[in-house]
Formats: sequence, C-alpha cells, structure tokens
Amino acid sequence: MHIKFKTLKNKIIIFLVLTALFQTAILKAQTPSDALMMEKNELCIALIYQNDKWDEYWEGTLLRDNQNIGVLTRNTFMPMLAYGVTKKFNIMTSLPYVETEASRGQMVGASGLQDFGIFIKYQPYELKKESGSLSTFISGGFSLPVSPYLSDYMPFSLGLRTQEFSLRGIIKYEHKSGIYLRGSYAYLHRTTTEAERDYYYADGSHYTTTMDVPSASTADLALGCWLLNKSIQLEAGYIQQSAFSGDDIRRQNAGQPTNKMDMTSGNARLRYFPNLIKGLSFMAGYSEVFSGRNIGKSTIISGGITYQFMLKKAQS
Amino acid sequence: MIINSHFYKSTIVLIMFAIIMITQGCEKDLPRFVAFEPYSFSNVDNNGGTWKQVHMTNVEQIKIDIPAAPDSDVYKNEIASAKAAISSMTTDDEEIIQYWGNNPIIRWNEIARELAAKYNLIPPPNADGTYTLPDPANPGKFPYFPFAHPPYASRAYAYLGVAQFDALIAAWHYKYKFARPALYKSDATVKQSLPTSDTPSYPSDGAVIAAVSREILSAMFPLEKEYLKEKAEESKEALLLSGLHVQSDIVAGDSLGRGIAKVVLQRAAGDGMKSAQTPKPISDSIKNAAFIRFGWKWTNQETPERPVGLTPFFGKVKTWSVPDLVAVRPPVPPAIGSSEFIKAADELKNIAKNLTTDQRKIANWWSDGFNTTTPPGHWNKFASDNIIKYKYNPLRSARVFAYMNMAIQDAGISCWETKYYYHYPRPIEAIPGFKGILGTPNFPSYTSGHSTFSAAAAAILSYIFPNEKRQVDEWAIEAAESRIYGGIHYRFDSEAGLEQGRKVAAFTITKAMADGAN
Repeated sequence: MHIKFKTLKNKIIIFLVLTALFQTAILKAQTPSDALMMEKNELCIALIYQNDKWDEYWEGTLLRDNQNIGVLTRNTFMPMLAYGVTKKFNIMTSLPYVETEASRGQMVGASGLQDFGIFIKYQPYELKKESGSLSTFISGGFSLPVSPYLSDYMPFSLGLRTQEFSLRGIIKYEHKSGIYLRGSYAYLHRTTTEAERDYYYADGSHYTTTMDVPSASTADLALGCWLLNKSIQLEAGYIQQSAFSGDDIRRQNAGQPTNKMDMTSGNARLRYFPNLIKGLSFMAGYSEVFSGRNIGKSTIISGGITYQFMLKKAQS
Repeated sequence: MIINSHFYKSTIVLIMFAIIMITQGCEKDLPRFVAFEPYSFSNVDNNGGTWKQVHMTNVEQIKIDIPAAPDSDVYKNEIASAKAAISSMTTDDEEIIQYWGNNPIIRWNEIARELAAKYNLIPPPNADGTYTLPDPANPGKFPYFPFAHPPYASRAYAYLGVAQFDALIAAWHYKYKFARPALYKSDATVKQSLPTSDTPSYPSDGAVIAAVSREILSAMFPLEKEYLKEKAEESKEALLLSGLHVQSDIVAGDSLGRGIAKVVLQRAAGDGMKSAQTPKPISDSIKNAAFIRFGWKWTNQETPERPVGLTPFFGKVKTWSVPDLVAVRPPVPPAIGSSEFIKAADELKNIAKNLTTDQRKIANWWSDGFNTTTPPGHWNKFASDNIIKYKYNPLRSARVFAYMNMAIQDAGISCWETKYYYHYPRPIEAIPGFKGILGTPNFPSYTSGHSTFSAAAAAILSYIFPNEKRQVDEWAIEAAESRIYGGIHYRFDSEAGLEQGRKVAAFTITKAMADGAN
C-alpha cells in the first residue's frame, strides 16, 4: 500500500513538474509550479513538444490581425531532467529549442536553442489527515540564454534573452478522493537584454543597447483529478501573468522586449500512464490565451513523453 | 535527517535572500539622453558674424533692440534681478543648467531626433483594406501627422540646422557689434555655473537656439507645440540662472530666433514637400512611365497592398545645393533576369541562407526603421558625438548640422528622384520566395536610401572633421552593406547609392568651403 501510494505520488509529481513547464512558454519555456516532490535518487527524463499559434495579437490593448504575418507559429522542443536529491529537495533543468515562422509576409523566422533553466524546489510543510493533505512548497529558479539569438526581433525572437530569477510559493490541497486544488504565485525577476542598436524608443529615447525587460508575476490556479484506476490524470487551470512595468506597442509598430506583456489563459491537460511499461507516461495539453496586452492571442497544443526511474536503489 | 533538513532550509533561505538582494540591487537606470559635461569651447569664432548665411540674405535682416548701456539703471536692475534669481536657485535648477549646458544645439538636435522616432510609424491598414494618410491640416486625427519617414525627417533636420545656423550667424554679428560682456564679467560677485567664454552675451545664443528650434520643430511636429514650448522655456530659465545672461540678452535672442525661423519656414512652405505624397493616378503614371521605359516596375508587396509608394515626388522637392538632379542620377540598373541581376540575386539568397551573427548585427545596427530616428537621425547622432569630442561652440555646431543635413536631404531628394525614375522592384518582389530579417520599405529599390544618405553624411563629416574620415567612411560603407545583409537591397543599389551620395555632397562642400568659416 505504501509503495503504491508512492508510485502514484511520483506520477503526480512528474505530471505537475512537466505541465508547469508548459504553461508560460509564450514568454519563457519553463517555470516549475508543481506541488509535490520526487523521491530521493529518482530521475525523470522528459521530452516535450509545444505548438503555439496565433493569428491575432494585442498591439498595446488593441486586438488586431496582421496580414503580413498571417499565422505566427512557434514550435518548442524541450528536453528536461528532474532529480530528487532528497524527498524534500528536488532539482530540475530544461533546455528548449525554439523555431518561429510566419505564414505570410517577407520576414524570415528564427530557430535555435533558447535558455537553459535550472530550478530547485523545497517542501517546508506538509499536513496529512485522513480526509486529505495540505502542503506548501517553495521553488526558485534561474535561466540563462545559451545561444546568441536576438530578443529584439519580435514577434519572431526565440525569447526575451534575459536572465530570469524566479521565486514561487505553492499551496496544494488534495482530497482523499484524488481531487486536488493547487494555487501558486511567482515573482519573475528579469534582468536586461541586449539589442543590436544603441538607440531605441520606448516611451522616449534610450541611448544604450541595453533594454530593460520588465519583471513579472504569475498566479495560477488548477483543479485536477485522477480517473480510470489512476491511469489517467486530468487537470484544468487558469493562469494570469502581469508585467510590473514596460511600454505598449504603438500602432503599427513591432513589439520589443521592453513591452509590458500581460495575459490570462486557461488550459486543460491529460496524462496517461500505460500499464505495460513502468515509469513511462504520455501527456497532452491545450491552452488558450483569453486576454492580453502586447502579446499574441495564442492557442497552444502540447504533447510529451516522460520516463522515470530510480538512479540508485532506494534506501530505507 | 534533522541536520539535512536544516541544511536545505538554510540553503533555501539563502537563495531567497539572494534573489531579493538582486531584485533590490538591479534598478535599471538607462540613459535617456546623451550624457556629456558642459565644456570649454575649442574656439569662440569671433568672426562668426561675417560668415555667409544659408537662407537669410542679410545678417541684419531681423533687427534687435540696441541693448541698454552697461552703466544704465536698466542694466543694473537687470543684473540685480538675475542675481536674485541665481541666489534662490534649487538643486533641480542646477541639474537643468547642466543638462542644457552652454551648447544647447546638442540638446535641440537630440529633441528633433526623439520626435522623429516618436512619429516614425507608418499608418496601419483600415478594416476595409484601405489606408488613411496623415493629414497636415488635421494633425491630431489618427494617423497622426507627420509620419516622420526618412525623407520627412531629413527635411526636418535640414530646416532645423539651417535656421539655427543662420540665426547664430546673426547672433554672432550682434554679439560683437554690441559687445555686452557676460553677466559674470559685468559683476564679479555673480556665481556662474557653466564654463567661461569670451563671447559677448547680447543676444543670448542659447535663447536664439531655443526660439528658432522651437519654431521650426513646432512646424514640423505640430502636435508637440506644447512640449516644445516647455523645453524652450526651461532652456531660457537655465540661461538666466547660469550667470552668463541678464533678461534682455534672452529677450533679444528669443526675438531674433523667432524672426529668422519665420523666414526659413517660408522656404519650407513652398519647397514642394506638400505635394510629395502623390495621389494614386499620378503614382500609377510614374510607374507606367518606368515600365514603358525599362520593362519593369516596383509594386508594394504588403497585404493589403499600399496603393502609393512613399513620397513619389520627394524627388521634386527643392534642393539646397544640387543644381541638376539628372546629372547625379546613377546609370540604369541591371535588367531583371540579366546575368548581373542573377549574380546580385544569388548573393542575396546566399547571405539570407547563411546569415552570420556579425552580418545580422550590422543589419540591425543600421536598420533605422520604424520607431527610430531614421538613417539621417543616426548620422545626426554621430555629428553630435563629434561636436562634443571637438568641443565646438554653438555656432560651429550649427554649421555641422546645417551642412550635413542639407547634404543628407539633397541626397534623399536625389535618391528619391532616382527611385521613382527607375521604379526598380525590391528583392522580395523580384526573387521568388525571398525573405529577409528586415522589413522592406514602401518605395522602389534602386538606389539605396541608406547608402545615399550615409555617403553624403560621411562626406560632410570628413570635410568638417578630417581626423574622422576613416571612421565615417567605414560607417557609410557598412550602412550600405547592412541593407544587403537585411535582404532589402541588391549590391548594385547600395554601390550606386554610395556614389550618388558622394556626388551630391560635393555640391554642399563647395558651398561650405566658401562660407567664411574655414
């Protein structure tokens, strides 16, 4: 019974780690906001694919199309590793490869490795009761660009090409029935990015190649449950991301990394654990941006495959 | 286990602390204007009043009052009130004095560049696929007037430079005619906040610059009238507190500046810019003429298609120094499909396919597209940097901007005359499936505007700052090359543009050499 519970718990952990990595991919391809811990010495390898498309975007607060872009497609391929240093202390890394393309117009897309991300997660508190459990988590992360991609090439740029420090608090309640509710709040501190021009206009002149990339917060809420003898997991979530500063894209201007990029989105996810191969799982997700500012009205579909195993024999 | 747990807890607390520290410590204060300290001028140009003006015909065409005598009560009262104002100066006032410095030409050029960037956005399509153009008669109605594209900006910079230069020649004339000493020289107890100079103070050159710049820029950017008024008032306030001037120096400067701006703006009103954006029937006939003559024509490739290219008749705008545009027009470009054309097209395809990071950087460094100060603005920044480097006084600074921007605008006029004469299609139109990293502008390809503007600007800067010749020539060539890397020009566009720019600038240089400033 104990072992079975652990397996289930691990499944949830990995699911949450991975799904969390999906969700803010419009700006960044990673942010762990899951709510459980992996076992000591347990390793998870994952490959996630994400297809993000939009044919409308918010120019400031104005939703518009652009027939010289048509549909903007952003494909992300993200290999990922997660490791349980201890039961209460996990470490994760990710390295997305991104490619972008417009269906119309004469501007060429971009492709390449984006940012290497490393995250740690710590579980300071857990309260277990007959009826369910309540746990809190803190995660911190850092991401760093690994290729000379240009952030000042919106909307084709692979990312914001800034260092990002994230600090996240997570709280989760899980009922004994398997239904759970999770909420998290994160502060994303972003440094600056380098443009390839030494003057730019963003609410006035800037005489530098350095662009301030606004820091942001994200809040998310998710409701999930297990079905069919715990081989299928379903989750629905809501995410709100707001930048603390930044300028608006002016009429008929291109975006730039200095913009205040905000959005709210909703998502649904499914994960399936085939009984045949232990440790293997498949996942699929759908996400849609409802409202935004200086950002594309994206529809995102994603899929992933994960495999988890013990690196060393568990010690008791 | 307890030890372990404690260890991890401490680690987390430390990391959180580090993140908070970084967050607090990373206030991103980025430079919002050109940083430089007020400097002592390398030369005061005390014969500046004898230099030849560009547009004004007579150095006393605009008259100013004879100043009150040094021993008069009027002047003594003025000194007293200036001193009173200086004694109650705040730290903010001191910052404003340092910002404007003793060469406000630099700031006004910077303001002009910022306005060019602010207004350099192309009108978006309407919902029905049509386009509305800015209306000078109704500038506040979207799309706002002006759309400060490169031809428009080149003209704004040129009028600003010419008006400042002509006004300062007149100011220098009056300064040495009336020979009123600077306030701190009239009264040794006056605290003065800027480097000293032997230039007489009546009229105040700073006030001349403020007035003339405000008037010219208000005409070019009518929605900015209030902002420009504020800047001019702030500048004049700084002059009064600087310890160099009394109120009548500033009043005289203001009236001289406004008078000269008015005359220069009369030229602007009749220079042909009003008709540069032709209606569609005229644009179509220009296009057909080229097609009949050469067998090709350029068409805008955007969706929805922009029915008229950018300012087809900018080539008909009055030049400053070029007597005959046909004489500086480069020869006919290679026919579409000719071996020369195929060679140029293959080069573009090759570059686009294997673009290096260095090539990308060069393309972006010189992109100067929407939301920027335009290529002429880019060269104005270089001029400004060299003015500071060589510690030029305001009169000599105005001369740099006047001649460089006249050459740049003439280069633009000549280039546009060529563009619409040959009406040559862009790479995205003539090479099937071709894409690049820069947006293709809404006008024909041959010759390259960047190349023409840059060669002309570099020629003037080389003439004025001979030590910088190597650098500015390199930049001009790099600017020309950048358009090839960006995929929006063929090599022959850029090469012909460079040659054209040099030819155009030669006329400006001939004029400058005869103005008495050498």
